[in-house]
Amino acid sequence: MKKTQFYGIWIYALLCLLLVLLYKFYTGMFEAKIMEYNLSLWYALAINLVLLVTSVISLKSSKLPAILGIIFSPLSTYLFFKSWTEMNYQYLAGFMVIPVILLLTTMVKRTSAAQEPRLTQQK
Amino acid sequence: MENLLMRELIQHHKIVIYLVLIGICLVPTVYALGLSPLELNIQVEKGKETEVVQNIQVSNPSENPIHIVGSVSGSVAQFITLDPQEFDLPAGPGLKSPDPRPYQYVTVTFKIPREVPETKYTGEILFTQQPVAGGMIGTAAQLGVAVRLTIGTMAAAEFPVYVNAMLAILILSLIISIIFYKRGKE
Repeated sequence: MKKTQFYGIWIYALLCLLLVLLYKFYTGMFEAKIMEYNLSLWYALAINLVLLVTSVISLKSSKLPAILGIIFSPLSTYLFFKSWTEMNYQYLAGFMVIPVILLLTTMVKRTSAAQEPRLTQQK
Repeated sequence: MENLLMRELIQHHKIVIYLVLIGICLVPTVYALGLSPLELNIQVEKGKETEVVQNIQVSNPSENPIHIVGSVSGSVAQFITLDPQEFDLPAGPGLKSPDPRPYQYVTVTFKIPREVPETKYTGEILFTQQPVAGGMIGTAAQLGVAVRLTIGTMAAAEFPVYVNAMLAILILSLIISIIFYKRGKE
């Protein structure tokens, strides 16, 4: 697993956390609208672009987290936007599940990648 | 001089009689409505859907039964609903009587959405006393309750337990993943 992919996903998860904290303590900031859509969509879109770019760049190095990232990126934007506009926290929970899944996948990949050279050495 | 005044009165006696009759009819109409409270000051937090319920007591001290119609005026009208909006009150004990007056509570519900452009809304809840069919009163009187709605500071979203739990899991995953990554490197 490449360093870029890990840090990309990690930064994405951190940004998701920041967005949820903003949602909790400064909800009103999403009221402002650009092109008929409120800021919740644009912020989620910007954050998910980070994930999308990271996933596309690292597609060759580690496929599973990259493919998951590409699939989850638009879904995550939709979930956050829906959560704010409909004030439904179930969507917000779904939005937070995505970075957790991606972080777990990177952890699993990292451990399996670390174990592989040891196994070949033993052989 | 006195003769002149008397002549004038005799000439216009019909107008004078009409004016006196109208006056008699109007005086009890204007005061035959009791409202409590006369002012409502509501303050809510911004960025939060809020519902506030208040009660207004409308009473009838006059000796005639009355019909009341409630309405809301001003910028605050978009957030207010009245229940009931129309009702009848039976005849009261009279304006000077200390006996209890018949009354009706009107529930005023303020429904304020999350997104509101202004910070202050004002208006009036008006109660119009309308003529009762076959009754003595022939004109309508109106009394109002002043309403002031202030949208205050930003509210914090109240997350349910499962969202807070997810938040904690996300923070933990961030910490654990960085530890894993560093260990993997070593």
